[in-house]
Amino acid sequence: MSKFLFVVPPFFGHISPTLSIGASLLARGHEVKWLGITPLAKVHLPEGGEFIYPEEDLAEYADEIQRILKRQDDGPTCSGPEVMKLALEETYVPFAKMMMKGLNNLVDAWKPDVMINDCITFAGALSAHLKGIPSVTTTPVPPDVMGDTANSAPKIFEWQQNLIKGLQREVGIYSDDIHIHSHKLNMVFTSQAFAGFEEKPPHMHFVGPVKGRPNLAPFDWERLSKATTPKVFVSLGTLLVDIRKEFFQKLINAFENQPVTIVAATNPDIFEKWPDNFIVNGFVPQSELMPQMDAVICHGGFNTVNDTFTNGLPMLITPIAYDHFHTAKLIEQAGCGVSIRYKRLRISDLRNTVFELLENPKYRQAAQKIKETFIEAGGNDKAVQLLEDFAEVHRVVDFDSPLA
Amino acid sequence: MDTITTKLSSEEIFSLMKQFITEVIGEEFVEEMDITPESSFTKDLEMDSIEIVSFSEKIKAHFGDQIDFTGWLSSMDLDQLINLNLGMIISYIEECQS
Repeated sequence: MSKFLFVVPPFFGHISPTLSIGASLLARGHEVKWLGITPLAKVHLPEGGEFIYPEEDLAEYADEIQRILKRQDDGPTCSGPEVMKLALEETYVPFAKMMMKGLNNLVDAWKPDVMINDCITFAGALSAHLKGIPSVTTTPVPPDVMGDTANSAPKIFEWQQNLIKGLQREVGIYSDDIHIHSHKLNMVFTSQAFAGFEEKPPHMHFVGPVKGRPNLAPFDWERLSKATTPKVFVSLGTLLVDIRKEFFQKLINAFENQPVTIVAATNPDIFEKWPDNFIVNGFVPQSELMPQMDAVICHGGFNTVNDTFTNGLPMLITPIAYDHFHTAKLIEQAGCGVSIRYKRLRISDLRNTVFELLENPKYRQAAQKIKETFIEAGGNDKAVQLLEDFAEVHRVVDFDSPLA
Repeated sequence: MDTITTKLSSEEIFSLMKQFITEVIGEEFVEEMDITPESSFTKDLEMDSIEIVSFSEKIKAHFGDQIDFTGWLSSMDLDQLINLNLGMIISYIEECQS
């Protein structure tokens, strides 16, 4: 049995797949811990796992962490190049620096066999490199979201490289190689076909969506069962708080009194009254709910994208910022949905597109094809097998042990 | 497509750019904007990468090889891209024409 340490960012979309894999690892008898820069509510954690929030080691950064988290609300109003800056320079790199101390302390004390860093949580791979622990990276979104900058935008590539090498020097890695991700195993939670990769680097494994994290959100199933019109699931994810009201107002304007049932995951408090054909809950058991739906509207948060195509449903994606545009492009390429940029979203297009998705079978057929590639990718079983094999091959000999 | 060989004045380039922008992002969204040479490309006009690509294609179709708009964009660093405004594009096209 092995000890696995997940290193995660304060963004639930990135944490979520690690909770699902963690649950599978725990069920196989492994020890699993997580380390993050903000606390995680216990209800999300699979039984037997431990989430470590190194409060003391992070104390000096408390205000700065809150400021950076608040800054994420600016994302939707930022342009593409501004988002790149916001993400890498203002968020990922500073978070990595702040996490190093608490992470190194935990690694020294617990001595994990394998460290697994989320792709935007560089501290995990950096600490693993410093401590000589085998490392794996998890990537919840289709990779290569910034494109081939080395050739298409050399100055932007140079900016990225300088930021990362600066970070590495600051934590004590004086090498010209990049160590923010594993060079040995990178697990991506989508299929190679959907990600649009004809060839892939040998260390990259597309394992498809993973599931099984605890989700105890209640739901009024009886009300749903009484709905007679096509059911459309709508989610805006856990971020993007500022534009929530505007987004759902558009949705109401488009679908009030229309022959559809809208099942929305958002805090109902934003409006006093919702139309009768809207079922609205702050938290929903999304993976149980999705098989009952006929179509999905979302901005491109990757867990919702995975839940949608796992069930072979067509999607209207309304990309807002970050990697949403890349995901939207992949969906249009696969033919399993339609993309309308949020900032150019007209009420009439919103309505017409949803009915087109419901009535024209070609979208559902394309979504079924993606579903098949997801199933073939292997999911939890494949991820666990890769991690167990990796732990076995890379088992570190403990020279301090009297038996060594 | 035939390329235009007559030199355009900066006013003419400006109105041509406005026409391209309208075609790319749609008339009703342009109506809400006050497009001036100071308009920032990404911030004020809120052009995303897909829209910038179709805008580039329109420039290429109109001016042909005399203007390498995509090459010009790809030589920029992040701050230059963030601060890119219509006036800079107009000056660049004027330079290429001379």
